[in-house]
Amino acid sequence: MNISTIYLIVASGFLIISLIKSREKTAKALLHALRVALLVLPVLLFVFVLMGLLQVFVPKEVFTSLLGSGHGVLGIIVGELLGMFALIEPAAVFPFAGFLHTSGATWGSVIGFVMTAILIGIVTLPLELNQFGTRFTVVRNLVTIGLVFVMGLLFSAVAL
Amino acid sequence: MNETKKQQHHKKGWGELIKSAVIYIVLAIVVWGITSILSPSGGAEVTKTVAKTFKDVLSIIFAIFILIGLIQVWLTPEQISKVLGKEAGWKGLALSATLPMILGGSLFVIFPLLKTLREKGARTSSVVAFLFAWSAKAPLLPLEIKFLGWHFAVLRIVLIPILAIVGGLISEWLIELPHRQETE
Repeated sequence: MNISTIYLIVASGFLIISLIKSREKTAKALLHALRVALLVLPVLLFVFVLMGLLQVFVPKEVFTSLLGSGHGVLGIIVGELLGMFALIEPAAVFPFAGFLHTSGATWGSVIGFVMTAILIGIVTLPLELNQFGTRFTVVRNLVTIGLVFVMGLLFSAVAL
Repeated sequence: MNETKKQQHHKKGWGELIKSAVIYIVLAIVVWGITSILSPSGGAEVTKTVAKTFKDVLSIIFAIFILIGLIQVWLTPEQISKVLGKEAGWKGLALSATLPMILGGSLFVIFPLLKTLREKGARTSSVVAFLFAWSAKAPLLPLEIKFLGWHFAVLRIVLIPILAIVGGLISEWLIELPHRQETE
């Protein structure tokens, strides 16, 4: 069973409980869901177009060759940068990270890549700005970059 | 008053919502159109990628929208802030640094969910910690072990909640700095 099926089952379960408890409140909930959909889906469309552009016009080998050259502290930073620009689904992050490691990337740069690929995305930036505002977005992203760098140092220090 | 309170009182009307929706759709079409003119085959590839990505996330995002709607109606701000707000103290922070580790989904669906929690009174440190902890992606653990080994996976899962708390506190301090200076 995949994750989207689980999500759908959980959501329908709660929806049914809600319907049993109060029809009126459930209608309100669905109306609110529609508002959120209207707010988010167009932003997603825009983001996915950007994602498509990068996927089509920037080959994956570009990422690998960049990371292979990075060593030590620089490798962590290059790994983080790659993660931010890599537009791959979370489920594809680990296979790709494994590929990076077998092609010579250090563990520090691999963790840098994995974490920022999941947590930071140039394409999700418009959505984050739209939902949380500039100050939150800037701080959240900078703090994440810093924390992931610390992780990179630890992963480089520990023999895996 | 803090930012979250203000947002709560200023709820966007349907007109405004539709206006911003139209702007993003037009932007997407313009970018896609320019690409297609410059490179018709590239444009077709982009269309395929967009369609595939939408198909991949549609059911999960649909479920998240429903959950957000239900949270909005059934959970009161008091309930949320009791668990994730200032009064929850360390327990709230600890909860947001661990519980989200079991969640799936992508940033596209997590951002709207967190925005709702924030508007309902979750404190900033909890929101940031929640996001960082979510990166553990426990549902994907089998993949991680397969491709990177269990040493890697264990070290990552151990470090994430610790760094989530540190990051949450630092971020909250930085984000709310202007408010504090105002009140001083």
